[in-house]
Amino acid sequence: MKKKLFVIGGSLAGIGLIAGLIVYFFVFNKPHRNYAEATPDFDLKAAALFEEFRTNPQLSSVKYNGKVLSVTGELNAVEQTDSLTIAVFGFEEGMFGSEGVRCTMIPELAGEVVKVAPGTIISLKGLCTGYNDTDVILEHCSLEK
Amino acid sequence: MKLRIIFLLVIIMGVGNAQAQKYITKNGHIRFFSSTPVENIEADNRQVNCALDQQTGDFVFKVLMKSFEFEKALMQEHFNENYVESDKFPSATFNGKVKNIGAIDFSKNGIYNAVIEGDMTIKGITKKVSEKGTFEVKDGKVLGKSTFNLLLADYGIKIPNTVANNISKSIRIDVDVNLEKLAK
Repeated sequence: MKKKLFVIGGSLAGIGLIAGLIVYFFVFNKPHRNYAEATPDFDLKAAALFEEFRTNPQLSSVKYNGKVLSVTGELNAVEQTDSLTIAVFGFEEGMFGSEGVRCTMIPELAGEVVKVAPGTIISLKGLCTGYNDTDVILEHCSLEK
Repeated sequence: MKLRIIFLLVIIMGVGNAQAQKYITKNGHIRFFSSTPVENIEADNRQVNCALDQQTGDFVFKVLMKSFEFEKALMQEHFNENYVESDKFPSATFNGKVKNIGAIDFSKNGIYNAVIEGDMTIKGITKKVSEKGTFEVKDGKVLGKSTFNLLLADYGIKIPNTVANNISKSIRIDVDVNLEKLAK
């Protein structure tokens, strides 16, 4: 009887431990989404995306915010700050300089876009986080092959 | 759209004065930090729009909520879906003034104390805020810094009882903007 209780107790503890580990690793510490490997929700021209946000920011926010977008356009510039590499598709010269679609590159993949000459047509994929009244912002971007 | 109008006004109102100078960045950095005995939570946003009018002291920010990045994906999900409801309220804004703008000599390198007052809007709720900060003028650039605290309850952010011990009711905000002269 004692042995049976021991086996049952041990089994329950084992199951509890496994369940706890699953919750810890796959819920509490689940990894961030790998946007470089994600399938885009929308595939569109960078100019069209910017125009949609510029003319109807609210509707476009509902449609695109939080979605993975693949945008294609003529690379305007690549800006580098201390910690960011940002590929810029510029379409309008506003009060704040060039306005358009700004794509923050995944740091490990930023080197790919740095090598691209301005004026080249490229496609970038990333997470759309919204429109800040001057630019559409894409984060976690990678250059599409 | 409202902030775009404010941004434009900040610029246009100074056009008459040839000496008026605007400083801007599209890569401002805002970090928030929650500290409790159970855990520390922090998030960074490095895509903050910010503009400062040297003459009038007008100072504006626009922050996309989905651009905040957390160490843990689950925290980021909870932040966007449950706390700030970023689908419904995609951005936060600050529209205010540097009250003592005249005390800052933009032509002379140095660190200047600043008093900033204005309206902070988060989750659709606007509150008056008054905070201190510094502007470091260095070779034509202006590095603005400020650290202050926000009460989550002031902006209608409710923390569920189940995680009440994990998230502080008062969040520390660090602002760090490297402003550059707007090319005329």
